This record gives sequence, structure tokens and C-alpha cells, in this order.
Amino acid sequence: MTETQQKIAADLETELAIGTLTTARLRQGIADIVQSSGNSRQDLLYLQAANTSPHSQVVGMMLIREGVRSEGGLDAEKWPYQTVLDAVREGWRIISFPNMALLAMDHDDSHGLGFEFILEKWS
Amino acid sequence: MRPSERKTYDCAPTLNDTQVLDFCKNGYLLLEGVVPDEINQRATKYLDEDDFYEPTGILAQDWFVENVTLNPVATGAVRALLGADFHTPVLMSNHRVQCPVADVGGWHVDGNFDFALELNYLQVFYYPQDTPLELGPTQILPGSHLVHNKARFMSHLGSIRGAVPTAAPAGSIFLTAYHVWHRRGPSTATALRNMLKYFYWRTTPPQRDWILEESFDFAAAGYGSPIASIVEQFRADIKVAELFLWLCGQRDSFQNLGGQSWPLPGHRRDTPYGFPAALERSR
Repeated sequence: MTETQQKIAADLETELAIGTLTTARLRQGIADIVQSSGNSRQDLLYLQAANTSPHSQVVGMMLIREGVRSEGGLDAEKWPYQTVLDAVREGWRIISFPNMALLAMDHDDSHGLGFEFILEKWS
Repeated sequence: MRPSERKTYDCAPTLNDTQVLDFCKNGYLLLEGVVPDEINQRATKYLDEDDFYEPTGILAQDWFVENVTLNPVATGAVRALLGADFHTPVLMSNHRVQCPVADVGGWHVDGNFDFALELNYLQVFYYPQDTPLELGPTQILPGSHLVHNKARFMSHLGSIRGAVPTAAPAGSIFLTAYHVWHRRGPSTATALRNMLKYFYWRTTPPQRDWILEESFDFAAAGYGSPIASIVEQFRADIKVAELFLWLCGQRDSFQNLGGQSWPLPGHRRDTPYGFPAALERSR
């Protein structure tokens, strides 16, 4: 369920709890939930970590929320997530793990920025 | 010969062993406010009249060449890094931006790069106006010249831990290893920002002919780079040492015998195992 759908459901539960929920209001709430599922958008979070562990420190980040790209700023200590697990705890789902084929590269060479996790949320 | 007619140039080097080694570690050197204000203003006026993205005609202006591309502080550093009789710039680019631009530029390495552990050319930037954070100075990832990448593989990168903005006063010049990762920063102020970009090339084989430090010890020197956090342990030290020895004209002496051998850092009881015999411990 998206954040929007969760809010609609929570509102319905509240109305039920205080006794104001009507049949018409319930039907409207269900319709809103169904309709909003067609409007949901995928948010993406790219996190580059220091190693393959989701516990490791994030060394790079980029966020796309509601189609708008944003970043964490120059001060890394103020980024919203210091590890990949920090983001998972806030509801982000990992949809891509670091590509272990990178191990096949020459050990003398260093390539790219860290170990990339891509995460999603639906809003 | 007029200054603008010079193809090559030589002068006394102004960097010492430690400063050259620092360049190997960081991949850039910022020289703040080295161009006189009068020249900065004149350059800005020139660029208002020639707002093409390649205002190469400015290289035919003696006042510009004398004070910018042959600036004594900048050329002293270039001489230390590229050796005697380095080739002077032949093309001028201008990253002219009408600020504010909320979006940041994409991280990239410029095209035609070569990640070899050599330093045969320098990409140099000049800010003719004060360029605080609000005017979106170029951001650089220190030490990233040691990490292979390709521009089209970097477009999804955003904030990077350790990246630094090159915010600087008018008249600042910064020298970069060509393939250091960089991008335009976001800007918030309303103003026009010029940033000129040009090149110098090496014409002579590398040798340790910069300012030598009596106390410089190849065995005890630290070769660590700020990029260490994103590469395998000690790999940055090894690359920095190899690049530094190449600049010293001692590439053939470089060796890495593995494990705790030179050039890895460590508190040792004697000369590091594997320390090249051809290198001096100190003078």
C-alpha cells in the first residue's frame, strides 16, 4: 500500500473508531484507494556504499521522489541515510544489489563509486 | 617575441617535494587570488564581448597571457608538475553560466582521458570573478583521478562523500589532473559566472627538478589519498607512490612486494621492506 493509500485507510479506521463512518463514506474511501493505485509513482534512491554490506557507510546518494531529482548536499553527515539499512528501516525496498561481477576486475584497478544499492518506494 | 606568441614556456618551479606529492594524492591544486583584480575585470569585460563558449581569441591578448596563462604563481606550479619547457594553452573554453541554476551538473571525467599513472598534461581553470558557493563553483572529488570511470556511467551519481566545492575569490586558478571527477555545483545567486578552462602539456621526460626538501624521505613519506574510502585498502597509497615516482623519473624503481612492504604506511623498526634501493631516505 502506498503512503496515500495508507492515509486513506487510517482516516477510515479513525472514523470507524469514533462512530462516524457511513456506508457512503466507506464506499468513497474504497474508491479513493483503488483510484490512487493507478496514480502511484515509483520513487528511487541510489545509494553507493563503501562495501557490499548494507551496514556499510554510504559514500554517495541520489534521490528521485515524485519524478524530481534531489541530493543530500555537500555535508555527508547530514544525508538522510548513513547506511543502506537506515533507508530500509524507513520503508525503502532494495531492488538492486551491488554487482558481484565487479570482482572479476583486475585487483590493481579501482573502478567507479563504491557498491551500488538501488531502492524504491511507491508514493 | 610577444608573450602570446610563445608555444612553450619555462620558469623556476615553485612546488616542493611535499606539494608535488600532495598533488599526486589529491589530483588538484587551488591557487587563490593569484591574478590581479585589474586583469580579472579586463577578462570579464572581454568575455562579455566574446561570449562564445570557446573565446580562444583571448590567448592572443598579451595582457591576458602575461597575467593568466603565464601567471607567475600558476606557471611555477605547472613547471614543477610538467617539467621544463611545457607547452602553453592553444584553446580556451568558457563555462559561462547565468546563475542561478538550481540543478547541479552531472559528475564526469572529460573526454579523451587516460587513467595511466602519469602526468603529461594539466587541465586548468580560472575564475575571473569571486565564485562563492552561491555561484556554483566546480565540485571536485579529491583523489578521484586514481579511480577509473566513464562519464556516461556517472550520470546517476549525486552527492559524494568527500567532494569539495572550489569556491574561491576572483583571480583564482586551479590545476587539475585531467581525469579527476568533477561537476558544476548548484547556484543560488543572480549573476553571470565565467570559468575559463585551458591546458598545458609536458614536452620533456619527468624528473625530480622541482624544489627539493632536505628532509624529504621517500621511505617515511605518507602516500595516502583522500580517495582511500572508496578503493581497496592501501590501493590508493600504491597508486600515489607509483605516480610520484613516475614524476621523479624513477618509474623503473617502483616496486610493490606485497603485504606490509613499501609504500604502505606503518610504524616500522627499519627501512620498509621493498623500499627501492634507487631512492633516497633523506638528503
